[in-house]
Amino acid sequence: MDLNEENKNGKPIIDIEHIAKIYQMGSEFVHAIRDITLKIYKNDYLAIMGPSGSGKSTLMNIIGCLDTPTKGKYLFKDMDVSEMTDNDLASIRNKEIGFVFQTFNLLARSSSLKNVELPLIYAGVGKSERDDRAMKAMENVGLADRVNHKPNELSGGQRQRVAIARALVTEPSIILADEPTGNLDSKTGLEIMNLFNELWKAGNTIIVVTHEEEVARFAKRIIKLRDGLIENDSFNHHQRITNDTSTTSSVTNQ
Amino acid sequence: MNIGESITQAFDSVRMNKLRTFLTLLSISIGVFAIIGAGSLVDSINSSVFSEMEALGRNSFFIYRVPVLEMGHSWRKYAKRKPITYTVLKELKKELTLVDFVTAHGFSMANTIEYGENETDPDVNLMGVDENFFAAQNVGITKGRPFTAEDIDFNRNFAVIGNDIVVKLFPNIDPIGKRIKIKNHSYTVIGVLETKGAVLGEPQDNRVIIPLTEFLRYYASMWEYDLFITIKAVDYESLDDAIDEAIGTMRSVRNLKPWQENDFEVETNESLTEQFASFTGFLSYFGAFSGLIALIAAGVGIMNIMLVSVKERTREIGIRKAVGAKRRWILYQFIIEAITLCQIGGFIGIVMGLVASAFFGSLMNINLILPYSWVIFSIVICTLLGIIFGAYPAWKAAKLDPIDALRYE
Repeated sequence: MDLNEENKNGKPIIDIEHIAKIYQMGSEFVHAIRDITLKIYKNDYLAIMGPSGSGKSTLMNIIGCLDTPTKGKYLFKDMDVSEMTDNDLASIRNKEIGFVFQTFNLLARSSSLKNVELPLIYAGVGKSERDDRAMKAMENVGLADRVNHKPNELSGGQRQRVAIARALVTEPSIILADEPTGNLDSKTGLEIMNLFNELWKAGNTIIVVTHEEEVARFAKRIIKLRDGLIENDSFNHHQRITNDTSTTSSVTNQ
Repeated sequence: MNIGESITQAFDSVRMNKLRTFLTLLSISIGVFAIIGAGSLVDSINSSVFSEMEALGRNSFFIYRVPVLEMGHSWRKYAKRKPITYTVLKELKKELTLVDFVTAHGFSMANTIEYGENETDPDVNLMGVDENFFAAQNVGITKGRPFTAEDIDFNRNFAVIGNDIVVKLFPNIDPIGKRIKIKNHSYTVIGVLETKGAVLGEPQDNRVIIPLTEFLRYYASMWEYDLFITIKAVDYESLDDAIDEAIGTMRSVRNLKPWQENDFEVETNESLTEQFASFTGFLSYFGAFSGLIALIAAGVGIMNIMLVSVKERTREIGIRKAVGAKRRWILYQFIIEAITLCQIGGFIGIVMGLVASAFFGSLMNINLILPYSWVIFSIVICTLLGIIFGAYPAWKAAKLDPIDALRYE
């Protein structure tokens, strides 16, 4: 079943057509992505899977506007991203994409609140509005009482929540998570996946890049990559939707 | 952009890499210290000297055997010149028409003054003056009286003494009317000089003044016959004519042939001030120049620190770029950080420079002038230093690829 054909309600947020990414290593050309076509719609919950070398990191970097494809077309909300300059990509990342990384990637010397505010600083939001919005994002991930803690004063799960709050704070079109549970124990990992679940139910569009079946099971749609091609793109009939809210968060659609 | 954040970041890097940052900032501080120290000291000296000169008035001019400020190599030429004698003084007094007065003083260093059982250290300046000296040099009398024309003409054994002598020899006694001894000659104290502190490190209170005639008779050695002549023109308009007249008289008294050049120096207040200013100006530019050299070396240190900082914070740069920082924001952040570092070092240097010049100023007994222009110069230089030497590291940071930066361990 081709979801790209099936899902016709509205325009896609992400419209990738026949993209390829070729790196030159010495005299050899490495085809990280050969030919991928992909549409992602609002409120999708997508898991991108694949072994290392399958091109999933490259695909994630391109979707996340950290990189541009060598060939093909990438439309993000009808904007042609494939031809954009560094600065334009930075502003797309700032406004439209919320990143969640395996290693959290928080600024070690700044408080949680400052970390969450960071994208708003680059968006040119004023101090008081920044504080309000960062505070609200911290409440949404259940960490309202940890705003003044620095990352090293927080547990792994809490750090990832701060990172998620940072991803949410600009109200992006997609949340892009790269192995979000990779550095967490299974219980904490489950909590984070529950949080994503709630965010999804609240209307967010989520893309999770993972090699773990456990994590992918939470998604509505699973894409499997191999050798730079999509091997499988299917609806997840066994989507795991827990109501087990071990989190105390109240996630609202932002 | 968030300047506050960048400044905080700069202070953080000072805190976290104390030694490394301290050493670099130290070199900036030393550079700024040299600029501020030299500038402040020179400004203070200038202002003290200029106010001294101003007190003498614009109408005055001076005749000396050799230049007051001579930095060249022509001292041999000057050494052969004949001294300016009492005869010359008398001739000038007789011949000059465009002047209020002509006065002269002679000078002998390292004398001991005795009073009863007490004596001073052998460091007292002895001056021989005529009756016009006090008014001409703006020397005040607090007690007693200055010399009169009769005192000079009749060669009276009178002395006017400075405050240091009063303190040493007459701790609780009124010195007026007491007899002091200099090299076995007795003098009656008739006046006490106004306390003046020091001019250019030369204490003005540690001196004894006696009539010029008396001075020339007993104390002047060969070169101390040499008089310093001060002449006051009737007004500023006649200054040039009065100088010409004085030069003519000097030449005829000293039998100079028309083709011979003057074997004496004529200076006005203005020309002295100018010479002095060019000398001190040279000092302050020398200070500023050495400071600049130190600062350029410091700039290389700043660049080094910033390069290390960019390297260490590659991941941070990656994070900032991932969440939407454009190149120029990263560029600004690191340049502002570099400027802040330079300003911290500069601030320390300014404080050190002011403290040092205040210290030397107090040794030399001059009032410290806050050298605004040098402080501003230092701040501007530190800013430029931050921009110039922060630019390359900041540019390196700004052009990092976000993917590589995020992956950096």
